[in-house]
Amino acid sequence: MVLHCYSHFLAHSLPKELKGNLIIFCADVASAMFIRATGRNLQIAYGQSLKFLDLVKLSEKSDILPSGDIAALVYLWNPFTIVACVGLSTSPVENLAIILSLYGACRRIAPLAAFGWVMATHLSLYPVILIIPMILLLGYGPDTPPRKLFLQRKYVEVGDTPSNDRCQQGEAVDQPELPYVFSWRPVIHFLFWTSLWLVYVLVLCGVSVKQYGGLWELFKRTYGFMLTVQDLSPNMGVLWYFFAEVFDFFRNFFLIVFHGNILFMILPLAIRLKHRPFFLAFVYIVISSMLKSYPSVGDSALYLGLLGLFVNELADMKFSFFLFCGYIGVSLLSPVMHNLWIWRGTGNANFYFATAMAYACLQIILVVESVSAMLNHDRKLRKLSATKVLDGKT
Amino acid sequence: MGESESENEAPKVKLRPIVRLGMFLISHSHLLSVVCCTAGVLTLLLLPLLAKNTYISENALMPGSANPMLSSQEVSEANGLVKDLTSLDLKRMASGIESQRLIAQYMSNLGAEVSFQKFYPQSNQFHPLHFFSSPDSATIRENISCSSYGLNTVGIIRAPRGDGKEAIVLVTPYNSEKIGLGEALSLGIAYSVFSLLTRVTWLAKDIIWVVADSKYGEYAAVDAWLRDYYIPVFSGLGIQNAEMCHGLEENTIRERNMRDGFKRAGTMAAALVIKVADRSEQFEDSLSIYAEASNGQMPNLDLINIVNYLAVHRQGLRIKVEKMWSLLNCKWLKILGEILESLGHLAKNLNPQWKFGIPAADYVEGTATLTSSLYYQALGIPTGPHGAFRDYQVDAVTLEISSRVSSNNKGRQNDFLLRGGRLIEGVIRSVNNLLEKFHQSFFLYLLTSPSKFLSVGVYMITFALLVSSLPMVAASLYAHANNLDPSFEKNESNHPASAADELGITLRSWKWLYAAKKVLVVHLWGAVVLLLPYFICQIPNCTPTTSFVVWVLLSIFSLLILFWILGSPFSYVYASQPQQREWALLKSVTISAAFIGLCLMSVINFATAEIGALLMVPMCLMAHPLKLDVKSRKLRNFSRVACNLALGFIGFPPTAFLVFKGVFEGFDGISVGDFWNWLESIWAWSSATYLYIGMIHLPCWILCIHVILHPC
Repeated sequence: MVLHCYSHFLAHSLPKELKGNLIIFCADVASAMFIRATGRNLQIAYGQSLKFLDLVKLSEKSDILPSGDIAALVYLWNPFTIVACVGLSTSPVENLAIILSLYGACRRIAPLAAFGWVMATHLSLYPVILIIPMILLLGYGPDTPPRKLFLQRKYVEVGDTPSNDRCQQGEAVDQPELPYVFSWRPVIHFLFWTSLWLVYVLVLCGVSVKQYGGLWELFKRTYGFMLTVQDLSPNMGVLWYFFAEVFDFFRNFFLIVFHGNILFMILPLAIRLKHRPFFLAFVYIVISSMLKSYPSVGDSALYLGLLGLFVNELADMKFSFFLFCGYIGVSLLSPVMHNLWIWRGTGNANFYFATAMAYACLQIILVVESVSAMLNHDRKLRKLSATKVLDGKT
Repeated sequence: MGESESENEAPKVKLRPIVRLGMFLISHSHLLSVVCCTAGVLTLLLLPLLAKNTYISENALMPGSANPMLSSQEVSEANGLVKDLTSLDLKRMASGIESQRLIAQYMSNLGAEVSFQKFYPQSNQFHPLHFFSSPDSATIRENISCSSYGLNTVGIIRAPRGDGKEAIVLVTPYNSEKIGLGEALSLGIAYSVFSLLTRVTWLAKDIIWVVADSKYGEYAAVDAWLRDYYIPVFSGLGIQNAEMCHGLEENTIRERNMRDGFKRAGTMAAALVIKVADRSEQFEDSLSIYAEASNGQMPNLDLINIVNYLAVHRQGLRIKVEKMWSLLNCKWLKILGEILESLGHLAKNLNPQWKFGIPAADYVEGTATLTSSLYYQALGIPTGPHGAFRDYQVDAVTLEISSRVSSNNKGRQNDFLLRGGRLIEGVIRSVNNLLEKFHQSFFLYLLTSPSKFLSVGVYMITFALLVSSLPMVAASLYAHANNLDPSFEKNESNHPASAADELGITLRSWKWLYAAKKVLVVHLWGAVVLLLPYFICQIPNCTPTTSFVVWVLLSIFSLLILFWILGSPFSYVYASQPQQREWALLKSVTISAAFIGLCLMSVINFATAEIGALLMVPMCLMAHPLKLDVKSRKLRNFSRVACNLALGFIGFPPTAFLVFKGVFEGFDGISVGDFWNWLESIWAWSSATYLYIGMIHLPCWILCIHVILHPC
């Protein structure tokens, strides 16, 4: 079905896209492929952990949705992706790098993960924070329910009389204690490869920009440009408005505050969601695309695509309809407001900024609701597992 | 949208205040929506009361601070021009070029720089996204015939105190083939002002006088000149065509000079289009102001204010703006006006501070003006050549002056020219004082009389009240549809056995996806319907009525095909979930789509959104399956059925149009072809209203009808 859809999609949009840039188009399709492969991986992991918790019956009764296919389709058919692609934005390439690194980490292919991460960081800097979920992903493997659950389960099984549930215990023994052991080997590999790629990229950059003032100039012009928010032309974010208003002598202070905002959230989220590193990566991506200095619709396309990967876990997410309407409304309203301000001259900057704020609010609601839905899902699993244990005892 | 599905939470949990507020709104949504809706309609009727008097917001304008300098000397010169032009017309020997030469001669005698601009009439093209695109340099000029072209004459005075960066534009459209007296007089007025301005010392902005050749329509001529002014074609088709046509002409060299010598001044601060009406007034000289540009855009209110101020307080002209004449004799409006007047008196008796009453006659007049203001803004068609300027962010108005008696009388004509000239001089002098472009006053407003206006902050309230009921009802329907789920209620009981079901991926909160898909398909169909007239227009020899019938048939056909291709989204939804919730979810999604669409439209063109909301909001709110109503045989249900049918009838765009046309203009001689003509005109002017009808209104109507006829 997915292949059919791909061909459908290709046939439909290829002539249009070819006029633009083939690389960007290919990047989008490749991203979708990698998302699909990642989704498969995550789905298998989800099934395994359910099996491990002896909730197999459930997973069979109501079939687990093919999250990879859904996510890939969501990514490809998302109007934001199409707009970014047709508009020849470079964000599809950046997205591809991020997805590549996540895929590599998921499959525990250290060189690929390291390459993706280095490229993503090189291209857009903000993915640098993804190193935490990637290390967790490489160390623990893909998303699982909380480790406490497994421990509890194991404890119960060991504490039980051996005559009870022997087959089940055997099964548990069969499964290596994979989900809750941090294995250092892939992480070391990853770090090694990262440094290798980093040196490689830096040397290449150094050679190519030698005559333009060297690496330092490169950093100043690229990362410095991102971090100091020099370009105040209106975009979908909220920073341009703020820094257009702020007094010059406060500028540095607020630069630190705004970028600190992203960094503040890293640690608490990492502690709370350490058993679900891939979801943690998703949350980081949403937060950084909300607070980055020059956001674009391509960033939203990425996280909305990744959201599809958690369709099983987030089935009970609240406000889904509200978010859907909000995204449609804002994405239609913001070009109109921009037109009113820039071309017709009857509106002003506040009109457009209002939609940018609404957009930021929507993203906040999305993060909050998806995280709480995920935690609820974990709670539900714990409850189910507990009742299971009780049933087993009686 | 306080859409709290958090009712799912266990009741013991203390909820956040915002969630509780949302729940309150949802639980009382029926009452609140009715209250909001009626309040919206009532405040719309109250709008003429709330209008404020206009005031001049930009201090730099200083209208009327200087005495007019225009004297009888300029007027007599202008009279000469008028006489020459009319005699030229009488002689009939004049092809167009003669009169242009004459005007150019007069201009260059004054010491102005004169240039000609040649343009070719353009056929109407369909630009569905005209609103979003900046005007382009129209390179599509394939089917032009070289023999038919218009010639604009442009004269420029360089300001002695300016740096040539800014300019004020005077436009006098006239038909070069047949010059009427009115057109000659308008040229005379412009000429008198122009000749004065060549001598004054205070001029800080260049003056451009465009004598637009209205052979192919006034708008087309002005638009062509503006396009050449702002978006010059440096190569390609434009020149090629010109070269091609040059072969046919004998005096090529002169032509080439004309073309190369396109003269420019700076950016335009304001533009005035001067016209003299051929009809004469009964009582006194009067001045009509036309201001609506494409998509209901208006020039800055300050421009209208200074014209109004100078005309009334300096020249003693009576100002008129367009009115809906049929409303003036409306009985119920008079009664309403009297009620409001007496209420105002009552309020004044209670507390002398409260002054909101206005006389009944004023109220009726204000309503008529407001209605026409709304209508012309909603139509999205510019009401005159000034509309072309708005596309380049230049504020412009058309001033149509009409004299009391037909101006055979010589002295009378002089007086008329003097007054008109002094008015124009005063406006130019005010605009000349401006330091920046117009920005102080409002761009978004409605006029209820020449000196009263409603700002965006006031009229948005009516719209917000009307529309705010939509998200409330959508949220409550959505919440109910989710709560009605029987399996869900079982889950809610929360005992361990059924807790297992809970893990089952019911995708409970994603059930709206089916309904959303259906709504999306219908909106796509709306886009298809919009494109159909483009093809129907290609059919030769079609009367409007047959075109309309073909259009309707094709639309129905495309709707069927769309459902067939997309695997009939209607069928399998029934299988997957109980129908009772299905229609509620569908209605909820429809209402949300309508809400988003109306909000969007209110930003693009407020008047369209307001009129659309008046039709659509009650229809969306009332929609309820007929079957359910008929089943429970109660009076309340039957009245709802009647309401539904009536609203469904009036909500369909063609019937709505015909009914309104019938009400305002009388029912005799109405045919469906009228709707087609009307639609074709807004289509040809690339109005956003056309998009609104196809993409928002029609799909919503279809979905509402679908809900009403839902088989549950």
